[in-house]
Amino acid sequence: ENSPAPLPERAIYGFALFLGSWFGFILYLIWAYVPETWLFSLGLTYWPQKYWAVALPAYLLVAIGIGYILLFGINMMSTAPLNSTHTITDNYAKKQQQKKFQEEAIPALRDIPISEVNRMFFLPEK
Amino acid sequence: MGERRYRSASGAPVALRRRQHSASCRELSVRCPRLQLRSLSAVTSAVWLAAYGLFVLSENSMVLSAAIFITLFGLIIYLHFVKVDQESLLVIGSLGIQVTSSYASGRESTTFIEMGQVKDVVINEAIHMQKVIYYLCILLQDPGDPQGVSEVVPLFQSSKPRLDCLIEVYKSCQEILEQRKTAPQSS
Repeated sequence: ENSPAPLPERAIYGFALFLGSWFGFILYLIWAYVPETWLFSLGLTYWPQKYWAVALPAYLLVAIGIGYILLFGINMMSTAPLNSTHTITDNYAKKQQQKKFQEEAIPALRDIPISEVNRMFFLPEK
Repeated sequence: MGERRYRSASGAPVALRRRQHSASCRELSVRCPRLQLRSLSAVTSAVWLAAYGLFVLSENSMVLSAAIFITLFGLIIYLHFVKVDQESLLVIGSLGIQVTSSYASGRESTTFIEMGQVKDVVINEAIHMQKVIYYLCILLQDPGDPQGVSEVVPLFQSSKPRLDCLIEVYKSCQEILEQRKTAPQSS
């Protein structure tokens, strides 16, 4: 049902988007370059100021640059500090149910407490 | 028990000293590297060069005196509040765990955690400043839930020794903590 294969409907959507984006681009070029007097003589008086033809791309590029820094900062803020219990456990691990141990079966997946993991890694003498 | 050399997470040399006071009492101290003369003179020269540049631009000689005072007070505040000389862990089997930080000016800051609150001492890994580091921490018992952890107290925050040093400290602590399971509970 949800395959990524090319379908006739998808081809039509793609072509419509292609024509639409070309139309939008040509319209933007006309708005930015054609002098105001020519547009007025054609009767098109209520178009936005040409200032925005330069301002909007500038805003967009600065927003993208700030977005990189913002994403980095949000990542750093969401990292749990060293003294938080989120480095050890979380809600799912606290509420997990212990399944009964069955012979000859692969043990069920569970979160092993950090004390046990430490003992296994660091205590036995080789 | 002598002193062994290890490295911190950033590569600086640290030294671990283990002392056994009795069968159930151990003290583990990690000594951080001292303040280097070259970094001190580099910072002082940078601040004084910047101040001289400002003086040339503004023709105000107060800038130079201000720079001298800033350097002096900055150094005193750094040595008293920031620069840690030694961090030590004193584990007393039936009593508790005492964590001491000695600063370069001689100030000592101590925290004591009684043994009833200590669930375990473990080596945990966490993300710290674009790195993943191992650090030793004390897990405090949650009074309501026997399996739960109420708080995590990280140890050796300024010296940040690497895993080999942490394993030694961990083994020493576990030898003492295991005694509380075999010893009868008194309260």
